[in-house]
Amino acid sequence: MNVSEFRTGLRAWLEDNDLTPGPDGSLAGQVEQLGRVRRALFDAGWMRYGWPEHVGGLGGPAVLRAVLGEEIASRELAPPNFYALIEVLVPTMIDYARPELAAEMVPRLLGGAEQWCQGFSEPGSGSDLASLSTKAEQRGDTWVVNGQKVWTSLAQFAQRCVLLTRTGPGHGGITAFFLDMDTPGITVRPILAMHGEEEFCEVFFDDVVIPADRMLGKVGDGWAVAGSVLPFERSTSFWHRINHLYARFDHLLAEAIDPDEAALGATYLGLHTARCRSHGTQLRFGEGLPLGPETSVDKVLLGTSEQHLYDAVRELLPGAVELADSQWRPEYLYSRAATIYGGSSEIQRNIIARRLLGLGKE
Amino acid sequence: MDAAERDLLGQSLRKIMTSTVAGPALDGELAELGWPELLAELPEVAVPLVFGLLGETGTVASVLNDVVLAAAGQEIGGTPSLPYAGGRWLVWARDVEPPAGAGVESTGPTGAFAVLDPALPLRQVDAGEPLTEVALAAGRRALGWWLVGSGRAMLTLAREHALARAQFGKPIASFQAVRHKLAETLVALDGAEATLLLASDDFSSLLAKAAAGQAALTAAKHCQQVLAGIGYTTEHDLHRHIERVLVLDGLLGSTKELTKQIGATLRRDRVAPRYAHLL
Repeated sequence: MNVSEFRTGLRAWLEDNDLTPGPDGSLAGQVEQLGRVRRALFDAGWMRYGWPEHVGGLGGPAVLRAVLGEEIASRELAPPNFYALIEVLVPTMIDYARPELAAEMVPRLLGGAEQWCQGFSEPGSGSDLASLSTKAEQRGDTWVVNGQKVWTSLAQFAQRCVLLTRTGPGHGGITAFFLDMDTPGITVRPILAMHGEEEFCEVFFDDVVIPADRMLGKVGDGWAVAGSVLPFERSTSFWHRINHLYARFDHLLAEAIDPDEAALGATYLGLHTARCRSHGTQLRFGEGLPLGPETSVDKVLLGTSEQHLYDAVRELLPGAVELADSQWRPEYLYSRAATIYGGSSEIQRNIIARRLLGLGKE
Repeated sequence: MDAAERDLLGQSLRKIMTSTVAGPALDGELAELGWPELLAELPEVAVPLVFGLLGETGTVASVLNDVVLAAAGQEIGGTPSLPYAGGRWLVWARDVEPPAGAGVESTGPTGAFAVLDPALPLRQVDAGEPLTEVALAAGRRALGWWLVGSGRAMLTLAREHALARAQFGKPIASFQAVRHKLAETLVALDGAEATLLLASDDFSSLLAKAAAGQAALTAAKHCQQVLAGIGYTTEHDLHRHIERVLVLDGLLGSTKELTKQIGATLRRDRVAPRYAHLL
């Protein structure tokens, strides 16, 4: 299946199958909508393209996933912050889980039966992720985990977790597991975020026992596991986000009260720049070329343009953020995090300076 | 033209641009290398290469005239009137030798008015024949490549300085405030280049010129700050690039004007065009 066949078929299918979100905009409602969209797209096959057959996919190039994300985002069918989580979860399973485990579990996520979360960040390990300290100790055929994660999105809804733990010193002392969230000893505490939702959680681990066959890769592969999601986050996932921002910009154009053409133009130019840059990255990814530090440029452009968009929303729709309980308010607030999550803009600039500009060590 | 041939052409162009005096002499060398044929047959290769290298090498040729004329379907070799920011009109003279060691004391090659960058043989005229949209778009793409090339030249100078200049016992490149300015410069330039690579029709060419102008001005600001004292002197090359991008930004519409025009178009159409499609 090529891109144009896929897009044409998908568009026709979306015409006939209404997946418009219902009135429940709560977090639980959004998660339910996400499951509904995934289920319907999986059953119809669309969600399976671009993933290999051995994890329940239908094969084909990964760009089909980007096209699916674009069509979903353009129609605002799925919560934009969560839809693309599959891009940072499924590739890890394909590359590092036992084949039988991946074959069993991945269809549950893609098919909307389950939510999964990613247990990476810790209270003491944000930008410096490699300093994480949640400990895993081997005990017979099992590993016992103690420690704490934070900023774990949707942990309260998740059945599984891709978890990074400390099993030794340094970068080579990090080990990843695929964990069932109903394992005894796990406590999830949602954090009420500024945008009014309990999207992020703290997750506490108190003598949590994980079977050894749930390890992802080998002991010490955890840092590679963490790094392996980067190309997917920076390609298919970004493309989804950009298309979501375009959809929201169209709403701004329709609603703008203040006819500030310079502000509209600058906002669009930022989105267009991020989109063109991301497009080049999609092409390289599609050709099988490795994606590396140059995608930090994409990350900075995307985060900056998202904030620029919502700055314009606040300025051109006076009061929409402050005085009305509209969709713009949580979106505006959420955009403040766009230069923080997924590696802050400062970390991206550090990477650009060190690895793209060759400025040596700090 | 495959990648290897393009590289070879790039090498030839760079050699000419770094060894030939700017102005009519360089125009002649470019013509000898086949610029008219390249422009007619392979503009999508020739324009990014030639104009990007004009920026990177800091030299000057009058080829913008040809790009505009060819796009308008006219004979190349002439000097069309070119719109400039603020409703002014300029002509890019072809027969003017650049002032020797052009510095800030020069009043410009024609003496008619003072161009900030004295190496650019620009002459103001009362009014001009409006360019067709196609000609404007082609000129904007060419200028976009030039601006990004100039930005890259500035970034190279600033990077070298940051690594070489030591203060407090270490290279200033080790200070995050400096590193981040240079990183931001690269982000702006790479972003602008991405828009140029996807510029095709009138509107996307306008977008690319605006992005390139903005990126070049960002490069000028950050690189000037990093180069600090030495970059403020005429003994260092930075000032030439800064002066150049300030002038080129205004040609065929400044970043500020184009950005406003983008907004006006969006407001009229009430929908944001999507360029860059996955195929």
